[in-house]
Amino acid sequence: MRPTIDKTLLIVLLITFLTSIFLIFNWVPQIKASNEAEQIAQKIFYFHVPSAWLGFMSFFVVFVASVAYLATRQRRWELISVASAEIGVLFITLVLITGPIWAKPVWGIWWTWDARLTSSLILWLIYVAFLMLRRYLPDGSKRANLSAVVGIIGFIDVPIVYYSIRWWETQHPNAVMASGEGSLAGPMFFTFMFSLATFTILYAYILRKRYQLLELEDTLNKQFKEMEIL
Amino acid sequence: MAVPALHLEKVSKDFGRIIALRNIDLKVEPGEFLSILGRNGAGKTTLLNIISGVSRPSSGSVQLFGTDPGDRENKAKLAVISHEMFLYGNLTALENLEYYGRMYSVNDLEQRIKTVLHEVELTHRRFDLVAAFSRGMTQRLTIARAILHQPSLLLLDEPFTGLDQQAIGMLIDLLKSQKELGRTILLTTHDLHTAKVLSERYIILEKHQIMQDGLMTETNPDEIRKKYFSPLEKAEMS
Amino acid sequence: MRTAFSILQKDLRMEFRSKESILAMWIFSLLIFVIFNFTFEVSRLVMLEIAPGLLWVAFIFSGMFGLNHSFAVEKEDGNLRSMALMPVDGGQIYLGKFLSVTIIMLMFEFLIFPIFIIFYDLQLSFQMFLLIPVILAGTIGFTSLGTILSAVAVHTRNQQILLSLLLWPLVSPIIIWSVNLTGMVLGGGEIGAVFFPLLIRVAAFDVIFFTIAYMLFDFILED
Repeated sequence: MRPTIDKTLLIVLLITFLTSIFLIFNWVPQIKASNEAEQIAQKIFYFHVPSAWLGFMSFFVVFVASVAYLATRQRRWELISVASAEIGVLFITLVLITGPIWAKPVWGIWWTWDARLTSSLILWLIYVAFLMLRRYLPDGSKRANLSAVVGIIGFIDVPIVYYSIRWWETQHPNAVMASGEGSLAGPMFFTFMFSLATFTILYAYILRKRYQLLELEDTLNKQFKEMEIL
Repeated sequence: MAVPALHLEKVSKDFGRIIALRNIDLKVEPGEFLSILGRNGAGKTTLLNIISGVSRPSSGSVQLFGTDPGDRENKAKLAVISHEMFLYGNLTALENLEYYGRMYSVNDLEQRIKTVLHEVELTHRRFDLVAAFSRGMTQRLTIARAILHQPSLLLLDEPFTGLDQQAIGMLIDLLKSQKELGRTILLTTHDLHTAKVLSERYIILEKHQIMQDGLMTETNPDEIRKKYFSPLEKAEMS
Repeated sequence: MRTAFSILQKDLRMEFRSKESILAMWIFSLLIFVIFNFTFEVSRLVMLEIAPGLLWVAFIFSGMFGLNHSFAVEKEDGNLRSMALMPVDGGQIYLGKFLSVTIIMLMFEFLIFPIFIIFYDLQLSFQMFLLIPVILAGTIGFTSLGTILSAVAVHTRNQQILLSLLLWPLVSPIIIWSVNLTGMVLGGGEIGAVFFPLLIRVAAFDVIFFTIAYMLFDFILED
């Protein structure tokens, strides 16, 4: 069952990924901008925004898995929370890399202590700390308990971080999905949604693979232990 | 039939890659003195953690006086003595006992403190900071702290580690008197001869399971040692 | 409540017994102001603008000091394990530790504040009384998260670094708001319409953090 799901996912992922690259670079119309650099830079939006969304989603999964762990004490939930935190950090890292690449030609600077940027950085730091904590603790139910607690507090903090930093003026482009002025036109909207779907499949695929790997590590270690015992 | 003090059925603890205990069946009657023998890493500490309600088993059932070990009433009936002191160096002996007494909601605390301090012969040092105590004195205070709330079940986790002869003697005397009071006592140790002096029954934990469950009178400590302790650890023990 | 109070009493007693560490902390915060003065050689006007931030930097350092110390004491001689063995509610243990850490941090702040006033030559005014709820709300936010996170971090070998890594990003909203509020008060002008709603917001998040930590503390003690 498992291999079939994985294979199907991989094939779907490859197809959607190639399609979204085609859509982004060959199909969707260029935006009107003062120079070519800005036009090209705009394409990053189709990677940047889905990464951010999937980052949030990963951390939401960390939260859910942490609660589930504390309720059931099953190793499975701990592994899911770790796997998802790792992928979340990866996605937010992508956000933090693609953001400045876009900002340099458009704003003329790599980084500014703007609300969105700062809150994304803080978000990244929260989950890097979560992963660091796990590195420092020996494996066992104690570690699982402690990291679940941090996984819960961390996620509850996320909206508060965003809320608090909105106090500052933001020059970051507004949320694009909002209707009205500045909302996405047809082809752009379609391309964006397609890219988002692709990233979601990517997330699901990496999560499965990472989880399987962690589980495999457990099985292997257990088998070594059994051999020692017998 | 009376409720056993402790009843474990098919208790296992494993978590991910860690196997700590497998299929432990154990029944201890009230007033029994049981020695748990086994080398480091055999699962002794995990077993004590499960009995004291700090750790949960992955499967199987644990009953302490007929109920769950995590229950507050059960925790109040329990005392642990280990090589860790569970004392604050920056508080006096008296303050430490007062703190513990309040946490365990001991009735008539003042009187109890007087009694236990007398029992461990520390009355004259009660206003001194624990940090200034010798190792032996600290251990005596640890004992006083443990019996302050008159526990029905004493768990001793390698209590002889690092003690001088006097403190060991005192601990042995105390354990004997606690046994006479009808308290149930579980002791993990490397020291087979002391175990033989004190306890009537023993179990051997090896590779996370109970390998042997027998009576002390029918055993020869040297045989057990030969069978279950590696040469390396024998050297450590002597 | 009795449990929490016993822990509080024990902690405060130990803390006041080591007076050197209180003095050391006070001198340390003095040093923060001195060092900032060296590293940013700026005009008095700019200095006034960054003063609220500086004040909170000193507060945070004193808070970290208190937090690290509070749980290092518990880890010594297995007292954390002994707490897990006690017939008490984990939430009550959290409450006790939270109260002691908060009181100690407030005391440090009380000692730091006069130096701050003198070094930055601030005009004393009635408006400054508004700093009391601001500092209280900011401190409680910091310690309510800090208490549970240092109970987590104390299980590692690198307790101090890990506590900073965990706590600073999580507590940043509270600190940002506290700095803003402090700035509004010290600015000397009229307190705008934003002040009180913002203060209430900080207090509301204090309650949220405290409640979550109170509920989760049992899991930290358990193995």
